[in-house]
Parts: sequence; structure tokens; C-alpha cells
Amino acid sequence: MKKINIVGLGNILFGDEGFGVEAVRALEASGSWPESVQFVDGGTQGLYLLDYFESCDALMVFDSIIPVEFEPKVYCYSKEELPAFIHRKMSAHQMGLSELLAVAKLHGREPAEILLIGAPPHDLGLGNGLSEPMREHLERAVAMGREMLEKWLAE
Amino acid sequence: MAKKIVVDPIPRIEGHLRIEAKMNDANVIEEAYSTGTMWRGIEVILKGRDPRDAWAFAERICGVCTTVHALASVRCVEDALGIEIPANARIIRNLMAATQQTQDHLVHFYHLHALDWVDVVSALKADPAQASAIAQSISPWPKSSVGYFKDLQKRLVAFVESGQLGIFSNGYWGHPAYKLPPEVNLIAVAHYLEALDFQKEIVKIQTVFGGKNPHPNYLVGGMACAIDPNSDTAINIERLNMIKKIIDETQTFIDQVYIPDLIAIAGFYKEWLYGGGLGNFMSYGDFPETNLNDFKSLLWPRGIILNKDLSTVIDVDPRDTTQIKEEVGHSWYTYSQGADKGLHPWEGETKPNYTGPKPPFEFLDTDKQYSWLKTPRWKEHPVEVGPLARVLVAYAKGDPMIKETVGAVLGKLQVGPEALFSTLGRTAARGIECKQTAGFMGHFYDQLVANIKAGDYKTFNSERWEPSTWPKECKGFGYTEAPRGSLGHWIRIKDEKIDEYQIVVPSTWNASPRDNRGNSGAYEAALKGTPMVDPSKPLEILRTVHSFDPCLACASHVFDMNGNEITKVTIV
Repeated sequence: MKKINIVGLGNILFGDEGFGVEAVRALEASGSWPESVQFVDGGTQGLYLLDYFESCDALMVFDSIIPVEFEPKVYCYSKEELPAFIHRKMSAHQMGLSELLAVAKLHGREPAEILLIGAPPHDLGLGNGLSEPMREHLERAVAMGREMLEKWLAE
Repeated sequence: MAKKIVVDPIPRIEGHLRIEAKMNDANVIEEAYSTGTMWRGIEVILKGRDPRDAWAFAERICGVCTTVHALASVRCVEDALGIEIPANARIIRNLMAATQQTQDHLVHFYHLHALDWVDVVSALKADPAQASAIAQSISPWPKSSVGYFKDLQKRLVAFVESGQLGIFSNGYWGHPAYKLPPEVNLIAVAHYLEALDFQKEIVKIQTVFGGKNPHPNYLVGGMACAIDPNSDTAINIERLNMIKKIIDETQTFIDQVYIPDLIAIAGFYKEWLYGGGLGNFMSYGDFPETNLNDFKSLLWPRGIILNKDLSTVIDVDPRDTTQIKEEVGHSWYTYSQGADKGLHPWEGETKPNYTGPKPPFEFLDTDKQYSWLKTPRWKEHPVEVGPLARVLVAYAKGDPMIKETVGAVLGKLQVGPEALFSTLGRTAARGIECKQTAGFMGHFYDQLVANIKAGDYKTFNSERWEPSTWPKECKGFGYTEAPRGSLGHWIRIKDEKIDEYQIVVPSTWNASPRDNRGNSGAYEAALKGTPMVDPSKPLEILRTVHSFDPCLACASHVFDMNGNEITKVTIV
């Protein structure tokens, strides 16, 4: 059976930065999933998440890493589209998404399939929870993730 | 005429740090200014919450140090409420903190700091046969065959040729300050990758005791994990055996890879003894064998060293409101009683007051406020915290194990103890400490197993769990020695809620701006006097700043989403 890791990135203390973590929680709660699917609240742990990136056949990442000047909607990038997109470092963490994927590649353990789902943040202020626009994106992002997850599981 | 250099941000660190330095005509740094460019507001978030939940928020404030903030937080709440935790909880916490420290030091050395000394691109030119011979001469580590290095070099060539350097994209490859032969560079790159793999094993200890990782569960009053040798779901024999195996492998990796690499690399840089800095050091101490207020029982001892004087270790009392104070004379904060007086954390305030230029800007006015970090001082002295401070305090107190390891490492390098007061000394101290702490991991494991064998499964003291048992008002202090240095959480509880919460993190001690008397912080002092080979490629600044293992991500924001993150070096 295909091993699938679903990782949410971001800091839940800073408004919309918690998007990725909230999305993973919502996706997990939206159904009952086989043991081959692992849901990970990755926080901002950078390098320490390497194992989750290298130990699966298919990887889904949720993160609020879309540039703010982008049109406010949910974006979805496949493995082939990623390199062009994630050349930049997108967070304050010592090792961002791009570094983790580069290391997985150097180790020869890059997952066969990768999907990144994200939306541009609206409010990064200190405090609790997502902003109203981000909540709407969350629903859409979880639906997209769910669709892909079901497809992976059916393969 | 003095030239100015700005490095913003410093790459390969947690968070966002900017360094401005003034150089003389010979490109020697005369003055340096350290700026934390992000605001950290955890204290504001915690106000009004249930103190029993504080750890769960605290462990989110940093990108890497989850477990140390959770630990300091439960300790300060227990201190305030007068809760004594069971022996097993103390031992498990010690083991988790030791695990974190060991893993963090390995990651720091190989993945955040080594590239300041190791030229990855030079490794492409190495002769694998020679690399193998060198590796076998310095260590019995089995992965050292000619074929192993040949294969690695092939993978590395393909990776570099792909043009996506990823992890290696920020290096100043080919810089004349790199001194290692290609073969030693190749060995270091091999171990860079091996250490990445290995650190994934170590964290499994956190998962066993904390229930999950990267955000393990803590609990005010003890630990949330159940011990039952006969249960499938609790800490049982099988899990303990797994932990023992990881501890043994960790010690082997440190002895056969980390320490030999450290000595091999340092041997080529023995003349580069810059970066000593303040000469004042502080450690709160950690790893209690009885309880946190029994300072004699701390395996990493407590104390202060001033002016590099190893003959005297001075006591430090973080509860004494006259000793540790945070000043804001050069920080973007204000205090209600005036910004010119320092405040002890129990009386602390977090009131942001940005007075700097509107970005984008070229320079900060370093005569005024120039950082989001406050300026903590001990009796008005700036002090350095971290592995070098802990090793020196233990050394000065005559700890026999530390004396032996320090002696062995310095002996192999053929340098005296004075070499410790340098950038390289700081880096060596981290390795020495890592070895010592990995030894403690085995010691804590033995203690835990002995308790379980004697039938003691208790991990939680519920006596004061209910808020109705609490005093109306109380205050507490919780401390730990995080990988980067002394971490303190100070709490005031009133009517069952958090009334005031102040955190002084290690990087605030080290990266702080000038104090109200104009004295430099640890980074600022350490950079003074450093000659720069090529100011447009400030490798020397990175070396010294990285040697402290900076971690300023105590508030991690999404930022620089326009791809502007590439470190800018400006020289005027």
C-alpha cells in the first residue's frame, strides 16, 4: 500500500500562518483514513521534519507560503511545478520547504508524488485563528487535498 | 575612513538577524551592532490564559526549541504553585532535554555551522582514495571505504550540476578563508549527509515520551506518558529497549564521527582564534538529580565567570530582582516607569515602540534604538550563554568528566585552555558538551529502568491540579539550559489565570544590543577585531555569529515572500 504523509507547516500563533496546520487537522477530521496515511502537525520545525518528507511514496504539504501580492485564492502545485515556485525561501525557518526537498533529492529519497496546497495570507497578526478570507480558502484547500488523497488511495 | 558593512539577514539561522559592522582601512572590524529584526510577542498571547496550558503555546514560539520552552514553562508553573514532580517525571524530562541538546548540537555543527569552515564545491576535486585513508586514520567509523567516498562524490557532482544547490546555495565557495584540503571537505560533506539521517533517529525518544513529535506533550505536575512494562500502549520493555539502542548509537556517532571531525577541521584553523568576545559567561545549570532548587544536584552546574577568570565561579540567583534585569535603552520597547531603568522579569513589561526608519532603509541609527531584542544584563554585566559558558563553568568548578574531555580535545589540537575563548573554542565546547550530555542520556536511562524495576511507575502528581487548591496570587521561575544557553520563564498567577509572563531566551543574552551604559552584547563584542579577507563575502562574520547557534525565531513569521530573502551585503 502506498505510504502517504500529509504535513501542515506554519505557526498557529500568528493568524494566517497557521493555515497549513489547520488544514491538516481539518482534512484528518473529515474522514476515517487507513493507517498508511499519516497526518503531521509540522509547525515550523524545518529540518526536523525531514523524516516525514523522505519516508513516503506521496507527500502532501499545506502551507500559507503564497506571495501576498498573488490573487487571494487557493494554489496547488504538483511535483513538476514546484522547483520554479519554491526557489525562494519562504519562511524564517533555517530550513524551508525547498531545502527539505533538496535534501530528500540528494539522499535519493524524494517521494514519487508531491503536492503543495497553499493560499496567500491575509493577516499575520499575533493572536488566534485564521482570518475570515483564510477560513474560506481553508475549506477549498481541504476539499482539494481530499480529492487528491482519495485518488492516491484508489491507485 | 571607516567603512561600514551590513549583512542582512544572516543566513542559515532560525529567525532574522542583521549585523552592521564598521571596519578600518585594513578591513578589521572595529564596532559591530546586532539587530533582531522581528518582534516576539509571546508574552502578550499568554496573558489571561490558564497557566496549565502555557507550555502548549510556549512550545510553538520557536522553530526548533519546542521541548525546551515547554519544559521551562511547566517548571515555572510548578514553582509558582509549589508542585513537586515524581522522580520518574524528573528523569524523563532530563532524558528528553538531553536528547534535544544532543540532536541540536549535531544539527548545528553539521548543517548550520560546518559550511563556514567546509567548502562543499572543493569536495568535488577530492581524491576518494585519499579521503578514505584520512577518514580511517582519524576514526574507526565503518563508512570510510574508497567506494563509499567515490559514490558520494558522484551524487554530489550530479547535485551541483543540476544547478539547484538548495541547502548549499548560500555558501561563499572558493573563499580564500577556507583552509581544508578537498579530501577533508569530502569527508565533512559525507558526514553532513549521515548526520541528517542520524538526527531523525534521535528524535524518536521525544516521540516515545512526549506522545508525538515535533510537538511533544508536557504536563504541569509531571509527564503525560504512562509507564507499564506489560502494556502495549504505555512505556514498556520494547520501547525502553528501542531507547537504549538509540542512546548507544548516539554515543557512537558522537565519539566516532562528530568529535574526530571537529578535531580534524579545527586542526586546519588553529591560527584563526578570533571571536572570543566578552569573557563573561553564565549558566543557570540543568539536569537536576533531586529537584531544581537543589543546585548542588545539577549535572550541568550553575554559575557566572567574569573576565575569563576561571579561578572564581560566582553564584547567580535569577529570583533576586536586583540581579537579572532587561533594559530597553537600545530596543524598540518602552517601559511605563521610563526606558532608562532595567526591569527584573517578574516586574517585566512587553510594550513595543518602534522608532526605527521605515523600511526599506540602508542603516539603523545605532546611537538610538536598533533592535527588537531587549538587553538582559546580570548585575549590569553583559554575559555570554551557551555551550562554552556551561563547559567553562563546569571546568572552573572542577567537574572531572569535563576536565578530561576538554583536556583530550585541546591535547589533540595542541592548544591550551586559553584557545577556548574564541569562535573555534565555542564550536569545540559544543562538541565537548554533546559528548558529555550523550553520556547523561545513558545515566538517565539507567535511573529510569532501575525505578521501573523497583515497581515505581508514577509519572504525575495531581495534588495541585485543581485551580481551587491554588493561592490567589503567586509567582514562579522555571529554567533550563537549552542547547543555545540559559532559558528562563518567569510567571505571575492571579485568580487562576496568567497575570504576567516573561521569557528571556538565550539568544537575547547573546544577540542583545548595547546596554544603557553603552556596553556591547556577546555577538557585538565577539565580532570586534576580526579581520575580513573580502568584505563583500563576509564569511568571517558568519563564522563567529553561527558559533553562538543563533535562534531568533521565537516569533516565526512568513516573510520576504517576494523572493528577497537572499542575504544582502552592503559596503559603504
